[in-house]
Parts: sequence; C-alpha cells; structure tokens
Amino acid sequence: MMRISVPDGGMSFFDHQPELFGLFNQYYGTLWSEGVLDQATKEVGRLRNARVTGCNICKNLRFAGARDDGLTEDLVTGIADGYETGDLPERFKLVIRYADVLITDPKGVSDDLRAALLAEFTPEQIVELTATITAAMGFSKAAVAFGPPPDMPVLVVPTPTPDGSVSDPLPS
Amino acid sequence: MEATRTGTWLPVEAEGDTALDRVFGLTPAAYDAFREVDGALWDPARVDPAVVELCRLRIAQMIGCDAELAVRHDQARDAGLTEEKIDQLRQWPTSPRYSDTDRAVLNFAEKFVIDASSVDDDDCAALRAHLSDPEIAALTTAIALFDAMARFQVALGIGGA
Repeated sequence: MMRISVPDGGMSFFDHQPELFGLFNQYYGTLWSEGVLDQATKEVGRLRNARVTGCNICKNLRFAGARDDGLTEDLVTGIADGYETGDLPERFKLVIRYADVLITDPKGVSDDLRAALLAEFTPEQIVELTATITAAMGFSKAAVAFGPPPDMPVLVVPTPTPDGSVSDPLPS
Repeated sequence: MEATRTGTWLPVEAEGDTALDRVFGLTPAAYDAFREVDGALWDPARVDPAVVELCRLRIAQMIGCDAELAVRHDQARDAGLTEEKIDQLRQWPTSPRYSDTDRAVLNFAEKFVIDASSVDDDDCAALRAHLSDPEIAALTTAIALFDAMARFQVALGIGGA
C-alpha cells in the first residue's frame, strides 16, 4: 500500500515533483548511458543494492544495456549471499563487495579494497561506479520507505537515459 | 596510499574549487547533472530549505561525512535556520529548538538512512500531518540524494585528509 498519494496521471509519488524527478532521472540516466564503465558492471552493483535494500522492483528489473553487455540471468543469480565462493567473474565479486560496503558502512573501504578497485578500474570508472550504486540505493530506499514494493516478475527495461525516462518505476 | 589534496585515495583529480569538484569532476557529465538536481532541491517553492538543510546535516552526522558537515546553504539561512539550532541537531528529539515538523522529518530521515523498510504508517502519517505530498516528494528526493552523496564522499575519502 502506498503511504503517499500518486497524483492524477502519475506513476509514483515522485510525480508530485515532475521537474525535480526529471532532473534526478537526468542524473541517473547520465550515469548509465553516458558513462565510462560498462553497463554490466554497474548493473551488478545496482542489483546487489536492490537485494541489500530490499526493493523488489529494482531487484527484478534488468537494464537492457547490461544484458547486451553479457549479464545473463545465470550471472544475476550469483549476486546473492555466498557470492564469494560462486562462479561470478572476480570483477563482479569485487563490485558486490564494494556495493556492500557503500550501503552498510562507507567508512569501511579498506586499503585492500581500495587497491583491488584501483587494480581493476580507472579512477573515472570508480567515481562512476560509486555514484551509480549510491544513486540507485537512494532511489530504492524511497521505493521501500513508502510502502513495501510488490513482487513482480523479471522485466527487461530500456537502460535509463538523460532525457528523463523513468528508470525504476515505483509502485502506484 | 598517499592522500591527494582532497584526501581521496584516487590517484588523480580533476580541476575544481572544492574537493567534490575535483573528485566527482572526473566524470564531468554526471557531475554537471548531479549539480543540476542538487541545486533544485533548495528551491523554497518545493519545501522549506531549513528543513532540507537539517536533513542534509543529520545524514552527514550519521554517515560521518565531514565534508558535508562543513557546508551551509544560504537558502536555509535565509529561511531562518541558525547555527544555534544546528548545534542541537543531535538532540532533536528533545531540544526545544525543534518543532513537531522538524521531528517528523528528522525521524523519517534517520529511518531512511538506517533501514528504509523500518519506516511505518505512523511515520508517514506524522509527515503528512505537517507537509503536503508534493513537499514530501521533494524532501524524499533530497534525503535520497544526501544519503547517496554522503556515502559517495566518505567512501572515496573526500575531506578525509
């Protein structure tokens, strides 16, 4: 049940502030579509966030660009507790480890984790990955806070773009 | 790892006046887009900037983001927010400087940051007793971005020199 009203003709409570929501989507879409990091890597971070934050909607959305980049459902299945011993590529395991720290204890970025990130990614890619995961986290939390998002089937949607397309639709 | 002038552990920085400019500026298109939405959060027509500032600072306290704690927004000051009130931010549940609106908002912000699933019907009813739904939508966008950016800065070591 939504705890905040949805305006007539809107899809979510964010539509009470269409200009502001459009600017948020511009930011989020820029991170996704005009970035320096492949979408599959960012998608792993976003989906890990969805699991940690508990957003059923975000958890079941798949961005098309990430799928095109090779993030199959088999790989997505590995973004779960116990991932360390699973079959995911080490690059994705590193992203999950970083996402967990960002979401639960951002002061906990250890020297070891920093070194691993710098060995795998450029500084620009690290900035983009950090911004993408934290922005996704904020959006997921908003969805969770105003009413438990319903379960939904896995759905492939277009990758967000800066022109204001709605990225993760919220429950209405 | 040797710290750069912003305190970040990243080995390179962009040009810029602030630590955030020099780190987030490494991805200029995203940073420009972030600054646009961040700037829009402070429009008094959306929601009281004093309340927005209290949320930003409380979130920075919770996450330990010194860089955010060092910043003040003129719009909040113009809206009447004083340093004396900010000094009592950790005591918001009991401080007489804090109104029922402040308490409803800060309670929501804290739960959002710690565990968004812990926000309950009573918390939302308290918000709606003091703010309109469009104000809550604007405030929630602000809280989501503040939570995100405080974590961004702490994780990347901005201001940690």
